[in-house]
Amino acid sequence: MKAWSGLVARLVVGAVWIWAGAIKLPDPAASVQAVRAYQLLPSSIVATVGQLLPVVEVVIGVCLVLGVLTRGAGVLSSLLLVAFVVGVASVWARGIEIDCGCFGGGGARAGAAAAYPWEIARDVALLALSAYVAWLPRTRLALEDRLFARPTVLTRPDPGPHPHDLTHDRGAPR
Amino acid sequence: MNTLTDQQRREQARRRRSIGGVVAVLVVILVVGFGVNRLRDTSTDVNADPAGASDYGVSMGPDDAPHTVVIYEDFICPFCGELDAAAHDRLTELAEQGAVLVEYRPVYYLDDDYSRRAANAFKVVLDAAGPEVAIAFHHELFADQPEESGPVPDDDWLVEKAVAAGAEESAVRPGIEGGTQAEWVQAAKESAEAAGLRGTPTVLLDGEVFNDGRTVSELADNLVAEIS
Repeated sequence: MKAWSGLVARLVVGAVWIWAGAIKLPDPAASVQAVRAYQLLPSSIVATVGQLLPVVEVVIGVCLVLGVLTRGAGVLSSLLLVAFVVGVASVWARGIEIDCGCFGGGGARAGAAAAYPWEIARDVALLALSAYVAWLPRTRLALEDRLFARPTVLTRPDPGPHPHDLTHDRGAPR
Repeated sequence: MNTLTDQQRREQARRRRSIGGVVAVLVVILVVGFGVNRLRDTSTDVNADPAGASDYGVSMGPDDAPHTVVIYEDFICPFCGELDAAAHDRLTELAEQGAVLVEYRPVYYLDDDYSRRAANAFKVVLDAAGPEVAIAFHHELFADQPEESGPVPDDDWLVEKAVAAGAEESAVRPGIEGGTQAEWVQAAKESAEAAGLRGTPTVLLDGEVFNDGRTVSELADNLVAEIS
């Protein structure tokens, strides 16, 4: 059951990342501008973050959708979402009104503050799903199960005194 | 009980290799994607006319000053207002000392009625009363900038500001109310876009996009520090 809900979480968060990243890829300058509008990062790294972020988003999204390095992608996804929540909360607290640039766009926009609570709520929901994916040892239909097949436990010479170990091994954390 | 057979050990080694391989591929994708995005980033490719040489601005300071500054600004853009509040007085002082040639280029960048009318009024004032009054008018508009979300001031308000800046009411009222510089406003916008403008405010120091500053006021401080 958990493994199936893990698949759903993976697909939802992964699709959102791919969408968010792909929409920004055609226009790196807009992405840089969106990052700059937060007035949060030192100007020396704004351009780098703006250029790198869309690529990272797409890669994390693809990893989650395919189920490759799932737990690592879940951890990275969680960290990024924490950063986004901090970013939006910070502009909100400082009274800066900007388009969050989450799905393209970005920069100053009058009345943008009205959207901040929703943006934070959405990011927190995605954060919860990402953390869930990171926490689950396994999810269904993950490509990594085929790519990185584990040593088969069934050929083990001595199954040990607890037969139920065998059935639970599949779900054991790595 | 965890004694692994040779076969299991081999499988585990293979598993580690394939994880390593996938991680390596992802790192390559990230690095290449980042590099490509960096090359495609046009944020700093603004090839604008040098300060003092544009038909769409107003300058202060000597033509042979050691530094030039061009500021593209939209009268409704809040960051432009912040920048003007933070930098205008110090830039004026530096221009008077001969340290810099500053050109303000008002551009109706955001699709906004006030922004367009204010840019039109700016040109009307520039033509009717000269650069000094136009610079004062430009500063007045930013000092009393309306909220982007409205309500926006009417033409009477623009005329009042022009008069406060030193223009003759009779010389500017018809142009402000009639929107007589609409073509100039449009041409200024097109010229800025052709130069590669990505937004306002855009500051060029000695012809290069100047972005050094986390906040607008930091940007102003750093700009002034570069010139002084």
